[in-house]
Amino acid sequence: MPSLATDFVRRFARNRAALVGLVLVIALIGVALAAPWMFPKNPLRIVGRPEIWPFVNARFPLGTDSLGRDIAAMIAHGARTTLLIGLCASLTATLIGITVGASAAFFGGWVDEMLMRFTELFQTIPNLIFVLTIVSILGQKIEYVTIAVGIVTWTPIARLTRAEFMSLRDREFVQACRAMGMGNMRIMLGEILPNALPPVIVLSSLVIAGAVLFESAVSFLGLGDPNISSWGRLIGDGRTLIRTSWYICAVPGLAIMLTVLALNLIGDGLNDALNPKLRDR
Amino acid sequence: MAVGDPERTAILDIDRLQVSLFTRRGVLPAVDGLSLTVAARETVAIVGESGCGKSLTALAVMRLLPEPPAKIVSGAVRFMGRDLASLSDRAMRRVRGKDISMIFQDPMTSLNPVTTVGDQLIEAIQWHNDVSRREAHARAVELLRQVRIPDAERRLDDYPHQMSGGMSQRVMIAMAIACGPKLLIADEPTTALDVTIQAQILELIKELQASSGMGLIIITHDLGVVAETADRVVVMYAGRKVEEAPVEALFERPLHRYTSGLLGATPSAKRRRGSRLAEIGGSVPALSELPAGCAFQNRCADAFDRCRTERPKLMPLMPGRTAACFAAEEELSRHVAAIGT
Amino acid sequence: MRRIVLRRLLQIIPLVFAVIVLNFVLIHLAPGSLFDVMTSEQQITDPAMLDQLRHTYGVDQPTWVQLVKYIWSVMRLDLGFSYRQNAPVLDVIMQQLPATVILMLAATAIALLVGVTAGVMASVRVNTIWDNLISLGAVFFFAAPSFWLGIMMTVLFAVKLGWFPVGGMRTIGTDNGAFADALDVMYHLALPATALGLFYAATYARVMRASMLEVFRLDFVRTARAKGLSPARVVLAHVMRNALLPIVTLLGLQLGTVLGGSVVIEAVFSWPGIGSLLFDSVMSRNFPMVLGVLVLGSLLVAVANATVDILYLRLDPRIRLR
Repeated sequence: MPSLATDFVRRFARNRAALVGLVLVIALIGVALAAPWMFPKNPLRIVGRPEIWPFVNARFPLGTDSLGRDIAAMIAHGARTTLLIGLCASLTATLIGITVGASAAFFGGWVDEMLMRFTELFQTIPNLIFVLTIVSILGQKIEYVTIAVGIVTWTPIARLTRAEFMSLRDREFVQACRAMGMGNMRIMLGEILPNALPPVIVLSSLVIAGAVLFESAVSFLGLGDPNISSWGRLIGDGRTLIRTSWYICAVPGLAIMLTVLALNLIGDGLNDALNPKLRDR
Repeated sequence: MAVGDPERTAILDIDRLQVSLFTRRGVLPAVDGLSLTVAARETVAIVGESGCGKSLTALAVMRLLPEPPAKIVSGAVRFMGRDLASLSDRAMRRVRGKDISMIFQDPMTSLNPVTTVGDQLIEAIQWHNDVSRREAHARAVELLRQVRIPDAERRLDDYPHQMSGGMSQRVMIAMAIACGPKLLIADEPTTALDVTIQAQILELIKELQASSGMGLIIITHDLGVVAETADRVVVMYAGRKVEEAPVEALFERPLHRYTSGLLGATPSAKRRRGSRLAEIGGSVPALSELPAGCAFQNRCADAFDRCRTERPKLMPLMPGRTAACFAAEEELSRHVAAIGT
Repeated sequence: MRRIVLRRLLQIIPLVFAVIVLNFVLIHLAPGSLFDVMTSEQQITDPAMLDQLRHTYGVDQPTWVQLVKYIWSVMRLDLGFSYRQNAPVLDVIMQQLPATVILMLAATAIALLVGVTAGVMASVRVNTIWDNLISLGAVFFFAAPSFWLGIMMTVLFAVKLGWFPVGGMRTIGTDNGAFADALDVMYHLALPATALGLFYAATYARVMRASMLEVFRLDFVRTARAKGLSPARVVLAHVMRNALLPIVTLLGLQLGTVLGGSVVIEAVFSWPGIGSLLFDSVMSRNFPMVLGVLVLGSLLVAVANATVDILYLRLDPRIRLR
């Protein structure tokens, strides 16, 4: 129904914080896409004197690091990493989460019980420790980091999907479909899923934020992919110089914070737009 | 028991109270110029449909109005001579729960679910009285006995969810009378309870009133409750008081057409005990869309031109009674004219 | 009530069991034989030792036998041997565990204190400048990576102002008795615990604010006011006690992430807990240690979760007395 969608968009647009978040994310995507043009060569090259402060030299607006690499270039290319990993990990988590949650809700009984225990298991294992374990066993490649992050962030999506499915499962339109003779799969994918998706999508935006934080922690510890310039790694590299050149840590951290902030604001805005009745303050 | 009887001096004197709701749709007159008195030992019932302003009146007396959006705009609420509307918050807190108490409609949700009944009772006692916990505990047991809760000592350790509706309401009443108030306001005290329990609770309240001499305001939409408990009745409609009379007179001969509608009978018919409000065609106008003239005009069979242009004022149409109804005025003056010269 | 508690504690067992099986799965996911990796990395060349290890890990036997052997050894609290520290894995972990527990407790305490207070204050002054400031603060601390916060705080409070130490758990070379020692630890604990806790403080502030606002609308709050209680008393004795319940639930759900977060914080502040141990073990490919930390970390979280659940039972009489 088109009117519901326009209502949703209008409600979202009224939320100033959410709009700020949207602007920031668009800026981030812009930088990520434009990076190869703005900073065409390998960002990990040494291009100048080491430890130049930001705003001092016009050639290096954000300064240089301990080896003389252009921080602005590394930030711009780091945006690509961040977006890529954030999206892929979130996608992995969402796929796993929806599958687990929907199956648990739809089949019920012991399937539900088993899947919920499975979910609880992943909620108990300390997330970062698990990610580090996987990375240490499988290797420090970007694919493994992404999968590992996806594996530790799917549980809230599974819970939400299950709750949504369970509340939708008993609604009249599903009974009607069943009466018409529709098969289980068709009902699940064709009828229930589209209705259960909106809150799950909202949660996904927060999951992306979580994935960004996880990835940055892993790279900060030096356990990420060494060939990729990532914001977390920049912070890690800059640790030894915090007494003199602490901007090397500050700048990428600020970038991470703004990204996560933007995603959170959008997530909140989407949430409020979805549930207008809960908005009274 | 006529109004103005010298033996009964008013303990509560609401004088042209004006409570407005400040909303996005504008300023709404939720209580519009209400005047009302209650004397010691007297029971005044305020009757009307939901939304007529009766609960807001009670909350205004207690200064418990939800501050946005409601506000006392003008008028006085004199209690034992002092205007409560102009008291400081701190001074008002010393009156609340001590000199004036209030009990509410749904006892099951009106008690704190995570503390024991005893703790809540003792809190009510200790807050206004400088007594030790042991003394407060003893008084709490005594209060529970007064409200006829069996096994009072043990009941103090119960949590609210372990009690039935009737018992919870008794606890509420115990909390309300804990400090010997001069006035008790009961907002729909029996509406949420079983029919069998209702009579017991009302009887209890009346007994407590008789032994303590406190004034009582009962807010209700149930005429059976009115018949059983009230000395005087105030009828409200769309924020305005439209009639006031001693209880028997009101039931025997309602003056305002709304009152007669409520009673579901013609003016001369006798009221039935335990009858609920009859349905009157149409619905109460929204406060933002009140018509000029009488608020009841759209649902009144006897409405005529004057009703639509001029707002009726409360007139003492019969001894000890007032009503704001032109139709009633006309009828009575014809009656007087007919009886004659 | 006692039965519920017992049942809750027993639920820990299948959970830990599942973690152990998961561990085993992870072992076999490694490229190449894990056994080869472990032995070559740790440079064991003694044939007798190799034989013994082969026997312990059952390398030549079918997978399910290996699984059983592995589970059995873990049940006997044998998590393997670490050549790097030249001690059984379990012993090394237990030695470092208390430091992490202290850090987690301190961080949680800070998170609760700051978060709950901020949430209550924001709710009591809804829609005023205070509310907006607190909400703004919450939003920022929720987005900032905790390790970055730790570094920034180190720059400001340790390097520039010199109020707190840059890292470590104790000042080397002092030995002034238990009380002074405790103070010394607390002095070193301040920055790391705050850096770890602020993220959760932000969460608790938001949840507490929402919870308080919801409770304010409930009937019994009106009754409390009708009794003539002061606003402070209403908030403290009536509203908060009810509004805190969701926070307790939330606390339980976040314990896994708190432990994970402490890994990074320990790296930033050189805090000698199992996080530092894990980091060191990952770098040196010391797999028995890595997996040992995983198992024990999960056990810690499971126990803490159960504790929180039981605490909740105590706090909400409606559930307790059904």
